[in-house]
Amino acid sequence: MDRVEYFNDMLVRLEELLYQELSGCAAWKVELVGVDFIQSKKIEGKTENEIIERCIREITGNGLVKEMTFSIGGKGVLLNLKMKDCVHLPKEARLKKEGITPFICPIANMILDQLIEKLGYETTYLAKLDIDGKTKECRVKCAIYETTDKIGTVSDWAREEL
Amino acid sequence: MDDILEVLRTRKSIRRYKPDPIPDEIIDKVLEAARWAPTGENYQPWRLIVIRDPKTKEKIGNLAKLGSGSRMTAWYCLGEMQRRFEEIQDPVRRAEVLRFMYSGEVSEFAKQAPVVIAVIGTLMEGSVDVPYDLSACIENILLEAHSLGLGACWVHGPVASTRDAAKFKKILKIPTGMGEYKVIAYVALGWPAEARKHPRPKKPLEEIVYWEEFGRKERG
Repeated sequence: MDRVEYFNDMLVRLEELLYQELSGCAAWKVELVGVDFIQSKKIEGKTENEIIERCIREITGNGLVKEMTFSIGGKGVLLNLKMKDCVHLPKEARLKKEGITPFICPIANMILDQLIEKLGYETTYLAKLDIDGKTKECRVKCAIYETTDKIGTVSDWAREEL
Repeated sequence: MDDILEVLRTRKSIRRYKPDPIPDEIIDKVLEAARWAPTGENYQPWRLIVIRDPKTKEKIGNLAKLGSGSRMTAWYCLGEMQRRFEEIQDPVRRAEVLRFMYSGEVSEFAKQAPVVIAVIGTLMEGSVDVPYDLSACIENILLEAHSLGLGACWVHGPVASTRDAAKFKKILKIPTGMGEYKVIAYVALGWPAEARKHPRPKKPLEEIVYWEEFGRKERG
């Protein structure tokens, strides 16, 4: 039995159910999905770069994503993530096929969780999740707010693709 | 029995309030209305926390600003907010409105409301309809408040994310276990300091009503 396929199939059912029940705000409810894995890894670091790099090392090292890069822009508020061959890609592809824009990214949630838990970031928000089934790539845009006064820090994120 | 259609038609979300306090007997009437909302199998899962302490309202207002601002800043940076408000022709006015939104200031108004009512539901008594029952409860609050001359606003955004909902629970000392209570929203209440100049347009019935089956527009 393919265990990854089995768990992804269950996630698809749960994700479509959440969307059916809550529509757009379902995406706001799922920020803790995936965090248990990374919380078990004792990530340490003093800067966001250190935290993110160490999360990526655990994520790729454990085979959840094959390749993963990141950049920080948008005056420090935008976290761009690019992933190739994520273990959850079949989930995203199936949801897209069923007409639901995927909104749960456990991998991004892991990194956002560690910014909050380890560096005391005030809040974060997974803003955009683009999946390309052909290239097997995901591009994720997250807002990361170190302090409350970072709220309202705006720029054009379209100019800052990774 | 009185037809309440005019109450329904004239209600709007009020976000600016006079500082005047709301007498207890008025608050009690609003709470009584909440109690009579429809509820599946009469479970009545709602619990209502009436907040008048300025320090608590300040915390709630700050949380609301953080929740809305964190999302709207991102939506602005992605160009979504600009599309939403493109009908505002004056660029200066549009920029002002957008800044008001993405700064989160749009959601801070709990601080100025004389009363905030947190609407939560117990998940421990077997009710299978908690979010729906709570929504009906909130609607009763809004309608009774409006009929008494109060202004009110149903605010969900600040408790919409899992982490923000947990923060909200901590502010009000609500048990934080995911199997204990659901926080669905709060309602800000006060004497209105703004009037309804332009009712927001509503979709005509022809657009939203089908007869007998989905998509059938003829009454038959």
